[in-house]
Amino acid sequence: MVELLKIEWMKLKNYTAFKVLAIFFGLGVIVTNYVVYIINREVVQQVPAAGMVSFTPPYSFAMTWHTTSYASGCILLLPAMLLAILITNEFGFKTHRQNIIDGLTRQQFIGIKIMLALIFALVSTVLVFFTALVFGWSSGTSFSFAGIANVGYFFLKAITYNLFAVLIAVLIKRTGFAIGLLFIYMGAENFISQLLWGLSIYLKREKSTDLGNIGDYLPLNAVDGLLEFPDNAVKSMSKAIMPQDITWLVWVLAAAYLALFYFWATKKFVKSDL
Amino acid sequence: MAVLSIKDLSKNYGKIQALQNVSFDVPQQTVFGILGPNGSGKTTLLGIVMDVLKASGGTFSWMGEQSSTAAQRKKIGTLLETPNFYHYLSAERNLKIAARIKGRGEEDIEHVLKIVNLYQRKDSKFSTFSLGMKQRLAIAAALLGNPDILVFDEPTNGLDPAGIAEIRELIKELNRKGKTIIMASHILDEVEKVCTHVAIIQKGVLKTVGSVKEVMHLGEDDTTVLMEIASDDNDSLLAIIQQMQGLKSASVTDAGIELICDDTLTAAQVNRWCFEKGIVLNKLYVKRKSLEKRFLEITGTKSEK
Repeated sequence: MVELLKIEWMKLKNYTAFKVLAIFFGLGVIVTNYVVYIINREVVQQVPAAGMVSFTPPYSFAMTWHTTSYASGCILLLPAMLLAILITNEFGFKTHRQNIIDGLTRQQFIGIKIMLALIFALVSTVLVFFTALVFGWSSGTSFSFAGIANVGYFFLKAITYNLFAVLIAVLIKRTGFAIGLLFIYMGAENFISQLLWGLSIYLKREKSTDLGNIGDYLPLNAVDGLLEFPDNAVKSMSKAIMPQDITWLVWVLAAAYLALFYFWATKKFVKSDL
Repeated sequence: MAVLSIKDLSKNYGKIQALQNVSFDVPQQTVFGILGPNGSGKTTLLGIVMDVLKASGGTFSWMGEQSSTAAQRKKIGTLLETPNFYHYLSAERNLKIAARIKGRGEEDIEHVLKIVNLYQRKDSKFSTFSLGMKQRLAIAAALLGNPDILVFDEPTNGLDPAGIAEIRELIKELNRKGKTIIMASHILDEVEKVCTHVAIIQKGVLKTVGSVKEVMHLGEDDTTVLMEIASDDNDSLLAIIQQMQGLKSASVTDAGIELICDDTLTAAQVNRWCFEKGIVLNKLYVKRKSLEKRFLEITGTKSEK
């Protein structure tokens, strides 16, 4: 495994797109959170004047774990895109064939890409952890690990996005189409999930049937559902009319989708003509 | 023991039968040519034995071992269809990756780059290479680790005449050192010049297989010799040569006069005969029945539609 990772690293370390996207993502996490921080600081300063109820600053402990994870989750498309590029590159250069010809097994080839997806997710999570820590410290509040589970949800979201990108890359094979589909699918799923969200509210209010938030049952939204929008005053107030989240179902679905991406991508690569 | 043994190998792409029950053995230390027109299934065949394509039916084994394992492929140097490298990496870095996958050290890299005359360009990116240079890099990659078996799919593709001659010489040299080379080609001349054995494939069907000698003489009338002669005055030459003993037929061609004679007749005898009759030949050579002729006899003369 270590040997295979070293080979992957030889492919990566001199690849400009890799460096650029990695730096973009690293800066992206910091910048995104900083922007959210600024906006909230303004809101926090303004809201009491408008007569709202008390409001925890989003980057204070223990809120920082949740806020940073949620805000950083918005740019997880970047590592997913990078993975899709790396894999479709192999198809484009036909190096996927050459690697097999030179003596990798098909399982090794696809396995190491999935391992790469895992590593990207881990590195993103570590980055988010430290970002949350720094923002928390700078807020001057006392340190707390409460809510750290959200960083775990972030990891789950990252690995899901990454594995989804691996699957799309293995199925589509062409860089442009794969990236395009990744964007379109994510947009489409968010749109559909909004419609389903509306449906859930309708069902609860008009039919008294609470199916939970149906929008959360879609592949990428399941992990989004676990890493919820951080609580704030507005959200707390609206909770009464919202459908009750069926958390266990979302968990099961999130795990099932993850397994689906993994097995589908592996099977496709191992069984088909290259 | 056969280096590669193929049994009833078939491959369909939907309704198209790319290979139909192809069976043959590649003996050790041969240069085994797989000859066939474009689209005849040569690359499909090699793709299957290298595990990048899945066979629809049949089996194959390398060195008598039943399954094609990655460990076996590491010991085979292969160039399949196109040179496949990372465009953004230099020649040397690409070879480092190949060597690493094969489980070889990097000490071979300088040596193989020198063999294919790319050592000066080792730090250039693959994307800056010409087609011929890419092909030579692919051959260098195949030579990494000094494998005993080499698989070359159209090795001279994209090379200039000097490059073609060099690669053919390299293949013969490798064979003299005891390597087994399996080579696909649609160029008859190449197979004839380089190979010791040949399998002819057409439309996915194995037409014939054997040593080049066997294939060339299979079903052929062995008692004739083909010669071509010419002089300044071909009309008189024709009249004179027709009186010679042992001649079966003589016909005028663009290049001179083509003779079909008994195999007892030698070039020296023909030369003396003409000289004694007062005609000096400016051309005389004995033609072997070429593989090209056999190929056309076996596969038919029209290209596949």
